[in-house]
Amino acid sequence: MKELSLNILDIAMNSVKAKADTVWVTLTETADTFTMSIADNGCGMKKDFLKTVTDPFSTTRTTRKVGMGIPFLKLAAEQTGGSFEIESKHESEYPDSHGTVTTAVFNKDSIDFTPLGDIVSTVTTLIQGSPDIHWVFKHTLPEGEISLDTDELKSVLGDVPLDNTEVILWIKGYLEEAYSETV
Amino acid sequence: MTVKELSEKCKFKTAALPDGDREIDGCYIGDLLSWVMGRAEADCVWITIMSNLNIIAVASLADVSCIILSEGVTVDDSILKLAEEKDVNILLSDKKTYETAVAVYENI
Repeated sequence: MKELSLNILDIAMNSVKAKADTVWVTLTETADTFTMSIADNGCGMKKDFLKTVTDPFSTTRTTRKVGMGIPFLKLAAEQTGGSFEIESKHESEYPDSHGTVTTAVFNKDSIDFTPLGDIVSTVTTLIQGSPDIHWVFKHTLPEGEISLDTDELKSVLGDVPLDNTEVILWIKGYLEEAYSETV
Repeated sequence: MTVKELSEKCKFKTAALPDGDREIDGCYIGDLLSWVMGRAEADCVWITIMSNLNIIAVASLADVSCIILSEGVTVDDSILKLAEEKDVNILLSDKKTYETAVAVYENI
């Protein structure tokens, strides 16, 4: 993928498919590393399936025999000399603490490091597409922090749904402003 | 023109040829796998320098007739084994990507 934000969109969609109530999208940057972590409290994966997810020939889709989201993210991270890790607890074994955490670390100095790209559109697309999920977005940079918690928005908005066009435009504007003030 | 015929005409090495009689139609060049996956057309020759496991999946999804690894890129036996298993042809070219593409153009 040309931009990391597209990888984030792709991995977060796995959390949506896993029927998560809450998804944490956490980006942490230092001067020379970029770490992305997508964590959810969805149904999780069984150990046998977890072992196969980085294999490009495994998928949850039935229409095709390969799923490429996780293999592409792993490749993108490893191409920069970084690392990739996925941990998961399936609901059958962990009824109270199930979920999945996908973490990728990139070296920003590598010539093969892909820029983050349009993260604001990624976050707003996720919220608009699944307004019932509690989204917790946090991007920590050396210069400061950008964060958004949809539960906090809901407590202010009351009955107005999150996928209301005006609300989505407000979220987009809020994030754009936060980025222009921080970076 | 089949993959086997192209390989002989262009003097490419065959790394895996599970389906040498596959007909070729066109050529696509790219190394960003997600990009190739959405744009390479079925039956085309795909020229790339990427040689990791994911190329087999991309070739299989895009249904290309063969992968040509250009610029003298080599490939692990484990990947060749998977290529045989998944019916993906892999040819090797010592030429630069541009020259490999020219050779394909002149022969198909």
